[in-house]
Amino acid sequence: MTSKVFLALRVPADPMRAFKVFTQEIASWWKPSGLFRVSDTGDGRLAFEPGEGGRLLTTFEDGSTFEIGRISVWEPGKRLVFAWRQANFSAEHSTEVEVCFEPVGAETRISIEHRAWDTIPRRHAARHGFPEEATLQRAADWWRNSLHVFKERIAGSDDA
Amino acid sequence: MSAHELDRTLAALGDPCRRRVVDLLRERPRRAGELAEAAKIAFPLMSRHLKKLRESGLVEEDRDEFDSRVRIYRLKPKPMADLKRWLEETEALWSRQLAAFKAHVQKSRK
Repeated sequence: MTSKVFLALRVPADPMRAFKVFTQEIASWWKPSGLFRVSDTGDGRLAFEPGEGGRLLTTFEDGSTFEIGRISVWEPGKRLVFAWRQANFSAEHSTEVEVCFEPVGAETRISIEHRAWDTIPRRHAARHGFPEEATLQRAADWWRNSLHVFKERIAGSDDA
Repeated sequence: MSAHELDRTLAALGDPCRRRVVDLLRERPRRAGELAEAAKIAFPLMSRHLKKLRESGLVEEDRDEFDSRVRIYRLKPKPMADLKRWLEETEALWSRQLAAFKAHVQKSRK
């Protein structure tokens, strides 16, 4: 059973610049989603505090802030991992987002993996000592059902 | 879906053994002993996992129709449906944000 969302897209910038824009200009490109404050449609102004241990914070118009999560991996031009807690999550619970930047010619393939659990990437179902069985595969298919449509959509929108 | 329910679902599924149980129960209802055997763990440990799954609302127990001493565990559909919806929403969110990020990179390209 998998519980992650994975998306990738190519952007016209080298990985260092893509990383910089992603982290330093998030307030400019982030679209309001209503995730970080229950009673408000706005997400506030998002900002990464650079470096491992830094926070992804959002600041609302009234000056109050909400910590979305802590940064656990900060590798400029390569990889970024941070915790992700929405306003409606309880304080002790969070999920994890991993963003990878890979060069493709002069451009960058940026991928996002959002994991509902597991704080490290799960590459193999067998890691936990359970054999990879047909049942697990079927369960994974059940989970991925909705992802297929989406992948096609992303592929269609990726003009690279 | 309340956020609290999603939290409970995520917490319950944060353990690989409990995910295994959910996978097994997705096929059909099973007895605790059967689950312990299939997951290759000791029965008392399986009982604790089943308790946690019951508390989180993912699983419910019934008595066997032929032998009331035997408990049968089955998956409750709502928490899983809620989780699936959260995954879909999360996916839609990142799809939108990545597209916005790309547009921003293009616009600010020098």
